[in-house]
Amino acid sequence: MGQAALVAEMPVYPVVEVRGFCKRYRNQVAVDSVDLSIQPGEIYGLIGPDGAGKSSLMKAIAGVLSFEGGKVQVFGIRIDSEAAAERVKGRIGFMPQGLGLNLYAELSVEENIDFFAQLREVPPGLLAQRKRQLLAMTRLEEFRDRPMKQLSGGMKQKLGLACTLIHEPELVILDEPTTGVDPVSRRDFWAILAELLRERGITALVSTAYMDEATRFQRLSLMYEGRVLAAGEPDQIRQAVPGSLVEVTVEPQIEALRRLKAKYPQVEAVGPVLRTFVDGVSSKAAREQVAASLDDLSVEAIQAVDSELEDAFVALLRQRKLAGQPAAGAAGTPLAEPPASDEVAIKARGLTRDFGIFRAVDQVSFRVIQGEIFGLLGANGAGKTTVIKMLTGILPPSAGQGQVAGADMRRARQAIKEHIGYMSQAFSLYQDMTVLENIRLYARIYAVPRSQLKQRIDWVVEMAGLQGVEDRLAGKLPMGIRQRLALGCALVHRPRVLFLDEPTSGVDPIGRRRFWDILVQMARVEQVAILVTTHYMSEAEHCDHVALMYAGRIIADASPVQMKQALQQEAGQLLDIATDRPLRALKALEQAGFAGVALFGRRIHLLAKDPQQARQQIESRLTQQGISLLDITPRIPSLEDVFVYRVMAREKEARSQ
Amino acid sequence: MKPTRIKALAYKEWREILRDRLFLSLAFIVPVSMMLIFGYGIKLDVENIPFAVLDQDRTAMSRDYLHLFMDSRYFDYKGHVQSERELEPLLADSKIRFAIIVPPNFQENLKAGRPVAVQSLIDGTFPFRTSTSKGYVIAINNAFNGKLLAGFISRKMGVPPGQAAALVEPVKVQLRYLYNQEIKSLWSIAPTMMMFILLMTPPFLTALGVVREKENGSIYNIYSSTVTRAEFLVGKLLPYLGISIINVIILWLMAVLVFAAPFKGDPLFFFLASVIYVSCTTGIGLLVSLFARTQVAAMMITVVVTIVPAVLYSGLLVPIASMDAASQFEAHLFPAMYYTDIALGSFLKGIGMGQLWGRVGALLFYSSVLWIAAYLLFHKRVRT
Repeated sequence: MGQAALVAEMPVYPVVEVRGFCKRYRNQVAVDSVDLSIQPGEIYGLIGPDGAGKSSLMKAIAGVLSFEGGKVQVFGIRIDSEAAAERVKGRIGFMPQGLGLNLYAELSVEENIDFFAQLREVPPGLLAQRKRQLLAMTRLEEFRDRPMKQLSGGMKQKLGLACTLIHEPELVILDEPTTGVDPVSRRDFWAILAELLRERGITALVSTAYMDEATRFQRLSLMYEGRVLAAGEPDQIRQAVPGSLVEVTVEPQIEALRRLKAKYPQVEAVGPVLRTFVDGVSSKAAREQVAASLDDLSVEAIQAVDSELEDAFVALLRQRKLAGQPAAGAAGTPLAEPPASDEVAIKARGLTRDFGIFRAVDQVSFRVIQGEIFGLLGANGAGKTTVIKMLTGILPPSAGQGQVAGADMRRARQAIKEHIGYMSQAFSLYQDMTVLENIRLYARIYAVPRSQLKQRIDWVVEMAGLQGVEDRLAGKLPMGIRQRLALGCALVHRPRVLFLDEPTSGVDPIGRRRFWDILVQMARVEQVAILVTTHYMSEAEHCDHVALMYAGRIIADASPVQMKQALQQEAGQLLDIATDRPLRALKALEQAGFAGVALFGRRIHLLAKDPQQARQQIESRLTQQGISLLDITPRIPSLEDVFVYRVMAREKEARSQ
Repeated sequence: MKPTRIKALAYKEWREILRDRLFLSLAFIVPVSMMLIFGYGIKLDVENIPFAVLDQDRTAMSRDYLHLFMDSRYFDYKGHVQSERELEPLLADSKIRFAIIVPPNFQENLKAGRPVAVQSLIDGTFPFRTSTSKGYVIAINNAFNGKLLAGFISRKMGVPPGQAAALVEPVKVQLRYLYNQEIKSLWSIAPTMMMFILLMTPPFLTALGVVREKENGSIYNIYSSTVTRAEFLVGKLLPYLGISIINVIILWLMAVLVFAAPFKGDPLFFFLASVIYVSCTTGIGLLVSLFARTQVAAMMITVVVTIVPAVLYSGLLVPIASMDAASQFEAHLFPAMYYTDIALGSFLKGIGMGQLWGRVGALLFYSSVLWIAAYLLFHKRVRT
């Protein structure tokens, strides 16, 4: 382990030692017998969806939350009282959840840092020196005097980090520092964090809800509903789950999906690809099994691939019977012959919206055809929600035109509302009404004829997999089910166009998968046009077509595969490099002038136009520095890579102007 | 306690308040506007009651009788009507609040020595105003009776009218109003309003200021640092105490300059007593903030725990002495009553520490209890 090697001369005792930790809120068990041990100098991750118990555990370790059972030891001191907690607080830095919420909105960047330093009694001389370093590193130097409330999400998080590190703690605890931050800033944040920790030999405990950030950690605990499902190095966790993942591109996709679903419990459609997890067999056997069940269909490509952490997480939940029954609902819908149509469902031309002098949406144009899943991607504040509000007739545009379901957005607002379904960020359900009452209410609001009422309601219950919870109160349902109910309510009047505004924020991976199952079904079978916004880049892979939004503009618009190909043509092949000393290698490669160099856990990613030549350069460069190269693998870039590259290019352009 | 950390906390808080326009206006504009609105709004004097007249007699005597009302400063004559039916809509629209009907043959009956009934209609919507109006009507009516009687005696016994008047009313009540010689309610309202406003606004600001940090999570900066509980409470609340002390001065100046209330006591004593009072009410806000989790909840709780005692148990509407035993006991539990005594005493009576030390002591005690309770209830390692 890279970091471990750096601190090898120190006596190795765990910085944090947790045994049998239990936390209850009233009668609700939030965390149940969790063990955890963090070694000095490591970046330890807690990964899990909302409500997994990450925050409770972190707060208890930071000494700001009391707990009911178990033992928590920090720096060898047992945290069992307020007085004991006080003894370790000087050596800890804690950043709570929420984008910049723990900072002071009215104070400037510098005043925020100064306040934290004064709280921690950093001497003025030392403060000036550390502040200079931290501001330089986080590139906040030029914003020194800007009030915190005027910073972007990514800048707020970097400022939060600087404030947390100003007293040079030995242990930093960061609760979901990257949630809601755009991918560029996220990468930036991780790079800064890695460098700061390495320079100062700081130990870190970091939580995240993004499964794809797992590679940033040396070790991690996978949490779900208050328990640890698995712990260890990311690769170990993935490999420890028995089974193999097979990716297949096949026509007709919907028939293949139906067959695989009947046979395997873990199947998902990601754009044109079907990903099937086959339990308990080797990759070769898995590939053969999947191929056999699709033998009479036209298989374009089939291969066994390494499973992602999310696949492993879902498989673990399933194998331990922690998740509910697999998504039966979507698969059970009768398959109708897809009405072939290339009809345009949504057409936006030059949509613009100003709020005062601030232009939230700038000249946005795109089109979505019936049966297509269209993803609008971007960070918080990129203008996604404003676009949806204009298209659904809630907000009049400042300029531009839009057509939805054949009607003009400006003139036929009422007609549009009858033909669309809309699910907003905060699901607009009535918490004190039962599931059936909610569906019935929406059916009435959308004027579903009385004669069809029962049939429609039954269809929604089946489609959204709500059997068994019909009479429960909406407010008492788990997040994932509530989200499917909201989707069902938006679909009750059989709209031709469906708008979903960040529908999956905070939902666990299994819930997300079931949700996407339904969306794929609606698009492929019912030919509904779906426009969905998200800031989960991994989720965007499900879309047929993606538009990247940045600062109110669309900066790229194509299918995910096309986007990745375009990136490879423009910037080169993505290489994944493993070395024995990743942090030193990172610096060496950056100095060598490679593009897009970024650290992912112990691996380094970079872009190279000529992979062969780059290999040699990398090898010689690393050997010079006394670093041994373990492995170089070419990889297909992710949508996140695309987003980061496009935004960086855009920013570079803006700077040069 | 380390002064540097307290200073850092207080200075941060102060800058936040100054830069947040909404909060700043809440801190300074609200108390001033409350003083203006309530000061002019709660006029307990009933004057210029609009009234109309139906004179069915139209004689010299009926005119004499009605002129007593028209000339009074308590009544505002709006006109004559021709029939009883015209009165009803006027009363219903609140165009008039009182009507008087002089029956036919008023003069004839009186001259013949027969009693007459004059009907008066009074708007009973506000009982306080109604009972005052009724008092005025009876008093004017009595004056008229007295005049008639005096005239009768003067005629029958052949004594001059002045002597006759003395005979009619052998015992005269001689009133001298102390402390508020003109019985202007504004004089006593202004100091009472200081009590009211300084009971309401400091807890509001304090509770919002602390709960705001709890709501958005910045309180974790405090929880997770080595700042002690006492340092946090003192540093956090100093700016709020400062604002309230500035408000004491502003409100005092308004009472004296705008409402022209006489200030007869010792300004320094009154200032110090007021500082103790606002430290006490700030403590109420602090205590509220420890229980409330959201700013909305904090506001609701503050309203309940401050307005109720301020209105009911402070002597604002009902004098403490005229309450029943249970209410009197409750009144002694709230700080408002003590400060009302201090304020009225300082403004109108000109008394000071010599007479009011008990009240000041009670506030001091109250304040210490609140602050100690808050200190004991505030934890940096919380349960939820």
